[in-house]
Amino acid sequence: MGHEPVAVVGIGQTKHKKRRDDLSIAGLVREAAQRALDDAQMTWSDIDAVVIGKAPDIFEGVMKPELYLADALGGAGKPVFRVHTAGSVGGSTAIVASHLVSSRVHKRVLAVAWEKQSEGNAQFGLGGGKSGSIGAGGAFAPWIRAYIRKSGAPEHIGWQVAVKDRQNALRNPYAHLHLKDISIEKVRESPMMWDPLHFLESCPSSDGAGAIVLTDKAGGLAAAADGRPPAWVLGTSMRSEPSSFNGRDPIRPQAGVDCAWDVYKQAGITDPRNQIDVAELYVPFSWYEPMWLEGHDIAPVGEGWKMVDRGETAFGGSFPVNPSGGVLSSNPIGASGMLRFLEAALQVRGAAGEHQVDGARVALAQAYGAAAQYFAMWAVGSELPSS
Amino acid sequence: MSTQTSSTIQFPYKRTLGPVISRFFSELTAQRIVGIRSGERVIVPPMEYDPETGNALEPDFVEVGPAGTVVSWTWVAEPGKHHPLDRPFAYALIKLDGADTNLLHALDAGSEDAVSTGMRVAPRWRDEPVGRIDDIVAFVPGETPEGPAAGEAQDVQTMDYFSTITYTDVLSPTLERYAASMRAGVITGQRCPQCNRVFLGRGYCSVDAITLGEEHEETLPDYGVVSNYTIVTPTPYPGQKETEPFARASVVLHGDEMVIAQQQIIGIPVSEIRVGMRVKAQWFADDARNAAEITSKGWGTVAGFIEGWLPTGEPDEPAEQYMNRVF
Ligand SMILES: [Zn+2]
Repeated sequence: MGHEPVAVVGIGQTKHKKRRDDLSIAGLVREAAQRALDDAQMTWSDIDAVVIGKAPDIFEGVMKPELYLADALGGAGKPVFRVHTAGSVGGSTAIVASHLVSSRVHKRVLAVAWEKQSEGNAQFGLGGGKSGSIGAGGAFAPWIRAYIRKSGAPEHIGWQVAVKDRQNALRNPYAHLHLKDISIEKVRESPMMWDPLHFLESCPSSDGAGAIVLTDKAGGLAAAADGRPPAWVLGTSMRSEPSSFNGRDPIRPQAGVDCAWDVYKQAGITDPRNQIDVAELYVPFSWYEPMWLEGHDIAPVGEGWKMVDRGETAFGGSFPVNPSGGVLSSNPIGASGMLRFLEAALQVRGAAGEHQVDGARVALAQAYGAAAQYFAMWAVGSELPSS
Repeated sequence: MSTQTSSTIQFPYKRTLGPVISRFFSELTAQRIVGIRSGERVIVPPMEYDPETGNALEPDFVEVGPAGTVVSWTWVAEPGKHHPLDRPFAYALIKLDGADTNLLHALDAGSEDAVSTGMRVAPRWRDEPVGRIDDIVAFVPGETPEGPAAGEAQDVQTMDYFSTITYTDVLSPTLERYAASMRAGVITGQRCPQCNRVFLGRGYCSVDAITLGEEHEETLPDYGVVSNYTIVTPTPYPGQKETEPFARASVVLHGDEMVIAQQQIIGIPVSEIRVGMRVKAQWFADDARNAAEITSKGWGTVAGFIEGWLPTGEPDEPAEQYMNRVF
């Protein structure tokens, strides 16, 4: 007997903002979770288990917040799990929840990931609480410089991704940044934060949460029969590697390559560029779009930037990336992976509204964390997988 | 003798309270305690949702207390600096009149003998309310609240939370040897017998998961080549001392043995840092070297021993050869 097919039948997210000063942390996660339940036409009592994900506790200064949030998410008397895999955690949270269903341990699982960055300071947290934090941008900037040098990519590629994702965000009412007048000139002229990264090539700092409800095959088919097509999970994978060792390639980490091919294999994908209709990739700094296109073998090594340059990853392009606006437009860190995963599901359900990619039947979502060393990916599709 | 290192981190977090807890704290500033109705029950402090079902609650607030009955308690004979009172007291679960849940708070009863389950207690209010749970300094025996006359309610939407935590690390034998070597001005690495990679003070190979010990240790050169860098524009945050752009560079040790990341290049303006530049370690003076940055997580660091890396002035190495050596 194989795994139980898994369906995403409910999706919810908050309006992401610099500071959700109208909500407590519990209120933030409940806003997303309630929307996911409503979308699934379920109530709290229908849920068998709850999976909660967020990035390091030092960001809000609430230690083990899953304990305080268990009853806020209807978890009294139910199994509640906390997932933590740095920036990839939103994706890992969705995957852990999907495994609880695919293994037939539970039938209906709620997965919620969140961050309330405004309560603390991520630069402080990432710097271990010390002065002189280089932040995520400072950690990634040298690798981005190496990618640019190695691939020969022209510098406007980074600016172009920064503009493209912000333009996509204008279609997404939940996105944090709505920069109506974004332009190549504005990105280029914005302050240099982590040379070679400009301010507008970097993600914002956001409060937000994302939630999904997952069910077994019967739940997915029932939703479909009710005119609410689910997203079917076609493959999931997580991979890790140590942050630093002699000879590590941080530009195209092996863990990212392996993670992608594990998902492709499960989903029956042999030609990712042509068999995937839309991708939500974790791009907190503009250059990560071409880097992940290569890092997940969607483009040949050294040619990811050419896909960007030709406009193929734009909203109307042949391989749209981040129609939601991506991490560059909303970054509630712990939730950011979940937002990629739920956007992929929205796309194949045909429920993405203004940012719906026409004919999206197979979507890929990816999240990465820490020193580009933790990966979580899934592929979802509009059709129940045959096996 | 084991070596310990200690570090303290602190941060002024700012909580947004949301509509329900903000109401609770706002009422406290006027010496009123409110709960919220959930079906037949009154929950104190009020919650946004029923804790048993998760269902959202309407904002149906109910004033309770201020007096109540002790349901259970424990005596704190030796209060520490984090306790709410500086003299022996009880932590008590108090069912306020009109409430169906228990409030945990301090009870200032003088002595353990004066505390009993079922006793009646009332709040002692803080002189200047700020909209926090310790606007009730403590509960006291009896029916009568203590404190100044009640003032107007303040609108409380946020709460400051100053967090401070001190970590003490006990260094592993590998890290102790590493720290001793660094104090002597010598970088010692551990070479994995399987993959030949070199690690600083780690005690194992990150790639092969092989334990590395004293027999795998060797002296490494304290000079090399800048293989990559970034110039960081510092953002302000509590505790941030940097105000001007600063650089962090990766240094490949001579012989290509390993890369030490996130190093300072000193003696030149940040704008002059180049990939391929040859540099040498600038050690702190003997008596200024310290192991405070080394933690039991198993990572050797040169911080605390090496101040930064000084350009040697020799001709650069070809940049192309080093660009990819981030690690
Ligand atoms: Zn090894």
